[in-house]
Amino acid sequence: MILFFRRVWAFLARDWRLELSYRMQFFLRVLSILIVVTTLFFISKIFTGFADPRFSQWRDPLAAWLTGLAVLNYFMTGFSSLANAIRQEQVQGTLESVLMTPISVPTVIVASSAWDFVQATFFSSLYLFFGWLFFDVHYRGSFLLALMFLVLTTVVLSCLGILSASFAMVFKRGDPFGIFLGTGSALFSGVFFPTQLINQYAGSGVASISRALPPTYGLDGIRRVLIEGQSLRDVQQPLIMLLIFLIVLLPFSLWVFGRAVRKAKREGSLIQY
Amino acid sequence: MTLEAKSAAISVDHLSKTYPVSFLRLKKLLRRKFKPPVEALRNISFTINEGEIFGLIGQNGAGKTTLTKIIATLVQPTTGNVTVKGHDTVKDDQRVRRNVGLSGAEERSFYWRLTTEQNLLFFARLHGFSGRAAKSRISELFELLELQELATRRFAELSTGNKQRLSVARAMLAQPPVLLLDEPTRSLDPIAAARMRSTIKSLAQANNATIFLTSHNLNEVEELCDRVAIISKGEIRALDTPRNLRAAHTEEERVTIVFGGLGLADSEQALARSFRPELFVFEPSSRADETSVKFVRDAHDQLLDRVLRTLQQSGALIKSVESEKATLLDVLERYEEADND
Repeated sequence: MILFFRRVWAFLARDWRLELSYRMQFFLRVLSILIVVTTLFFISKIFTGFADPRFSQWRDPLAAWLTGLAVLNYFMTGFSSLANAIRQEQVQGTLESVLMTPISVPTVIVASSAWDFVQATFFSSLYLFFGWLFFDVHYRGSFLLALMFLVLTTVVLSCLGILSASFAMVFKRGDPFGIFLGTGSALFSGVFFPTQLINQYAGSGVASISRALPPTYGLDGIRRVLIEGQSLRDVQQPLIMLLIFLIVLLPFSLWVFGRAVRKAKREGSLIQY
Repeated sequence: MTLEAKSAAISVDHLSKTYPVSFLRLKKLLRRKFKPPVEALRNISFTINEGEIFGLIGQNGAGKTTLTKIIATLVQPTTGNVTVKGHDTVKDDQRVRRNVGLSGAEERSFYWRLTTEQNLLFFARLHGFSGRAAKSRISELFELLELQELATRRFAELSTGNKQRLSVARAMLAQPPVLLLDEPTRSLDPIAAARMRSTIKSLAQANNATIFLTSHNLNEVEELCDRVAIISKGEIRALDTPRNLRAAHTEEERVTIVFGGLGLADSEQALARSFRPELFVFEPSSRADETSVKFVRDAHDQLLDRVLRTLQQSGALIKSVESEKATLLDVLERYEEADND
């Protein structure tokens, strides 16, 4: 266990140092979040007093958007960080050197994504923090319960991220999971508008896409807790759905990733990109 | 102790590697053109003993890198198997990696924006070192490989030779009993190269480390290696000590004698009286009063002694005698020529 944490720490320290060598990027990202939050504040003013009573989570659209964006940022990190890390190591030519050390596949998976999660935690918090500090957005309910949803959804998305990384390992580029989830989550998971509207305007067939995406349940759960102040008992349904996703996807994705590493070794293509 | 009496550190058994064509069935189905699979290694078997320095030489594309990567667990064999310290490189790859350090010829294997020390610190932690132990080990290696002054320099700023030294330092981080060194003195200046060779020797002698070395510098291979394998087109064509390889190639040596006090025509006549004239090639030397004669002799015959005596008895004053034995290059060239015929 100590070895595991030592290795995760090695990746964190490395990525922190690499990040420090690109300082400007950090400040620009903070600034861009502030600009997005400010823009959404003004857009939300258009809808003041027009909220449909059916959509209780959207009475304050700014709070709904900020929660949506913060959570989407986190989810996308869970989903894309491993594939990006693998691609980055392939491009840099360092993947073989890392895989030459006595490090196990699950450790590579956790460790190489660790820094992205640290960053995502910080930047996601900034959406909520700027909203609270400058635009009087208030959240209620149990932050602990919201955090549980966040972690669970992120782990589920990380499983899809592992499948995505397996694609990067074998096909190098052209990842169908990225296209489907990247664009699909923003459109179908209720980041910018209530998912019920999809059913109303596009029919139940299209709305079923939304039900097949784990972020839909994660985001719904977090908004119910933070905006509507619901308890654990009230949010059981999205919680169970996320657990089902986890039970199916975790062993499957680890198995696929192991196979992808073996295939790349058979083809001698570990550092090709 | 003889090499045979020591236990095997690396064992390669009927190893073959063919790089497959990706998505072959799909390409056939779509009737797309595809290159044939590349047969990189063919039925290779050998054993490397503990504490041995083993050299692998061959032309580019002969299969050296594939073999090194298979031993390092980075590429999987098609058939056959490789064990390192008794652990199979496919079934027990994590244990193999604990026993192996690899220094490759790939410059891109480091993080260019990190310093040399930060790079090694990262890899040391992946090997399980604590922060303090890692720093202490890195400092030892920096001293051994004379990299102290470069500790805070970014990898991108290092010269090619220093990058190479850092790669060797990384391979040695966890003090593995088996070191795989791909051209360890490539790009080093002559003094640094000599020191690196001395380090490699002492690792094998003092630490009983097993060293698997590939190099295009045949003098280096000859100087360092206990045994050398010649690989050509994926097959091991010869494996023996450098001395035995040369001897098996030819027992002949080329001799050049430079002498004065006897003209070219007189020396030709003198030697023609005792030997067949076609044995010798006479040339006027660069100095006006000197002549040189060249001939090929068997390493164990009396020809050199007899030629020298004949020349001296005819009044020649011997200035120099040079003999040139077959080198590993001659041996390598012979196998390459045989393969091309």
